[in-house]
Amino acid sequence: MPKVTVDGQEIEVPAGATVLQACELAGKEIPRFCYHERLSIAGNCRMCLVEVKPGPPKPQASCALPAADGQEIRTDTPMVKTAREGVMEFLLINHPLDCPICDQGGECDLQDQSVAYGRGGSRYGRENKRAVTEKNMGPLIKTIMTRCIHCTRCVRFSEEIAGVDEIGALYRGEDMQITTYLERAATHELSANVIDLCPVGALTSRPYAFEARPWELKKTLSIDVSDAVGANIRLDSRGREVMRALPRINDDVNEEWLSDKGRYMVDGLTRRRLDKVWIRKSGKLAEASWDQAFKAIAAAKPGKNIAAIAGDLVDCETMFAAKALLGAMGSTLLEGRQTGMDYDVSNMAAVAFNSTFAGIETADAILIVGSHVRWEAALVNARLRKAVKHGAKVFVVGPEWETTYPATFLGEDVGVLGKLPKDVSDAFKGAERPAIILGGAALAKGALAPALAFADKFGLVNDGWNGFNVLHMAASRMGGLMLGYAQAGGIADIAAAKPKVLLSLGADEVDYSAFDGVLKVYIGHHGDKGAHAADIILPAASYAEKDGTYVNTEGRVQYAEKAVFAPGDAREDWTILRALADALGVSVGFDSFADLQGAMFAAVPALGEEGLADLGALPKGDAKAKADGVITYPIKDFYLTNPIARASAVMQQCSAELLHGDDLAEAAE
Amino acid sequence: MSVLGKIFTWWDGATIGTLLNSWRTGEQVGTDAQGNRYFRARKTPAGTNERRWVLYAGANDASRVPPEWHGWLHGHFVDVPESLLPPAKIWEVEYTPNATGTLGAYRPQGALERGGRRAGASGDYESWTPDS
Ligand code: SF4
Ligand code: FES
Repeated sequence: MPKVTVDGQEIEVPAGATVLQACELAGKEIPRFCYHERLSIAGNCRMCLVEVKPGPPKPQASCALPAADGQEIRTDTPMVKTAREGVMEFLLINHPLDCPICDQGGECDLQDQSVAYGRGGSRYGRENKRAVTEKNMGPLIKTIMTRCIHCTRCVRFSEEIAGVDEIGALYRGEDMQITTYLERAATHELSANVIDLCPVGALTSRPYAFEARPWELKKTLSIDVSDAVGANIRLDSRGREVMRALPRINDDVNEEWLSDKGRYMVDGLTRRRLDKVWIRKSGKLAEASWDQAFKAIAAAKPGKNIAAIAGDLVDCETMFAAKALLGAMGSTLLEGRQTGMDYDVSNMAAVAFNSTFAGIETADAILIVGSHVRWEAALVNARLRKAVKHGAKVFVVGPEWETTYPATFLGEDVGVLGKLPKDVSDAFKGAERPAIILGGAALAKGALAPALAFADKFGLVNDGWNGFNVLHMAASRMGGLMLGYAQAGGIADIAAAKPKVLLSLGADEVDYSAFDGVLKVYIGHHGDKGAHAADIILPAASYAEKDGTYVNTEGRVQYAEKAVFAPGDAREDWTILRALADALGVSVGFDSFADLQGAMFAAVPALGEEGLADLGALPKGDAKAKADGVITYPIKDFYLTNPIARASAVMQQCSAELLHGDDLAEAAE
Repeated sequence: MSVLGKIFTWWDGATIGTLLNSWRTGEQVGTDAQGNRYFRARKTPAGTNERRWVLYAGANDASRVPPEWHGWLHGHFVDVPESLLPPAKIWEVEYTPNATGTLGAYRPQGALERGGRRAGASGDYESWTPDS
């Protein structure tokens, strides 16, 4: 490990570190625009200049210079100071004085660094500024390209992380322009991350344009519920409205990215909201009071004939409260797999993403069965791309989709799992860290048992490595399974038990026609399929409006905080269930959120600890297990997979323009 | 106004007592555009300021005194406004009294009297109805 001296302080840095990283380890701040930890090194902004001896007697770009033994680095000399001032002055020759009308204002690297390292005046005042035309980057990214400082972070992100060549640079020198290919919209699922990456206001958020300033927003730490990845997010709210969602850094989960759906569905939180109680009277829903609703439910005298179905977005506390209520009534009719799946959940390790997201990067042979990873978990897809860059081979069973890395498709029938082609089985035999990723579509076709057999056969579990992965799609799924929201026969069991009352906890993907004649009570936040089918609607809180625990598909327990209050008459879900317990004359054993959480942690201790839950060992597979059937992916439209996204105007626009844009163009012709 | 009204009310114009007193001790110096009459005491004892007052034509509302006469009443000007202020410019709007409490009062955007419509603000949401 090389030893270097930074401003007279001697430190040891890891091999392969750059001078910039060495300075950071020594606690020195190095200004930068183009350098980014998760992208390749470009070295084109020159803001990171430092003085290095031995070397030429001129400032050097520290981000692109490897740290070598015996280097003497100085970041505080007059030479460094004037170099920074000079770079800043050059950058500002062409950068417009837009700050008062620029959305980046207040969170702009250029602003901050010109205050900290700039000269305070320019000698180029009489020079004309370069002007660049706006580019079309689709409904999410707004461009003001005159502000671009050519750091190329956006270009590198698209190429390296997203894996699509959508953004590039044209022309050279001062005339260089960043643009999308043929000015088409950026269409991949992680496109909006370039907004965070752009150090200036050249790429800003279109839906959030001119909505708020960063300093007037309240920041709340939360968890994304748009998929089962559980990306760590920060909800920025003003008053009662969530203005935007931004990713937080968590290297284990989302690194520092967020899928476009998680980022932009938040405007759906202000549309189609359930904000009053409704009761169906002679076929029509009519406004009512909480009292009337509770009386109507009590009048149905459910006794132990009461069931609950959990939706995809609910938190563990809600599910536990419902479970406690049903338990007090003497029922265990709980289910969360809304579309009727009935895979075996007796072993939780067999339905979790055991390699972890960070771990899957190190896999060297990956078999994806029935998962459109790009749509079902865009951030996992970015990890898979990294794995492929490290040399992993990827095979996919299922209909073809556009991968962002080389992958071999093995056909659409899950039966392939039993008779893999020779080159595939050879690849897995030779692999040190083989992995399988099982999607919902495969589980629906009964692929769990054959996949376990596959795990046995190719030694997917060996010391320190577990390559058996199930990739869920619902934020509530793992939590639900841990809380026992599963019947042996899936939802069909619930229908067969003929409950008198069905509590639907925001379940919008269920086929309610199986529950004719049952009193359907919808406890949720958006008017979607569930609300239309319900007999009684009790308005509840969305993920932004309540504290809650979520478990992602890895089995990682994470807590989200409440950002804003629910609108109108809506209440937090657990309070509704608590009040319902009174109306039904039973006791659930909690009176406050803290009580509820305490009871939940006592019942399922794994939920009480943040981080990966210990799900035990993988069960042995049955070598004779078979599955067949053609896989069909459940997600038809990436942007409209949950009630919040469906209500969101931005997501509807994305779906129309990005996914069905070609249809639109054809219709216009 | 009826004679009885004059005797028993005080809010519309001057009371009998004030009228009598104005006639006895004061002299009128002018009127403004609304017809309010301005008076000053005929005799001013040495060492005191001149007494000046107004008799309203209509409601006794101090905001009905236009600025130029307000200046005179409060002793800012020695002489009546006409004699020292420049003539009104064509772009000057007519003076209007305070409209608070009347139909002409200012209503903020979104007030029910203005139709109850306001610009969108954060926290607004659209609620669901069964027919949507
Ligand atoms: S648009 Fe932003 S991120 Fe892209 S090169 Fe320009 S300044 Fe850098
Ligand atoms: S950060 Fe080193 S050149 Fe840009």
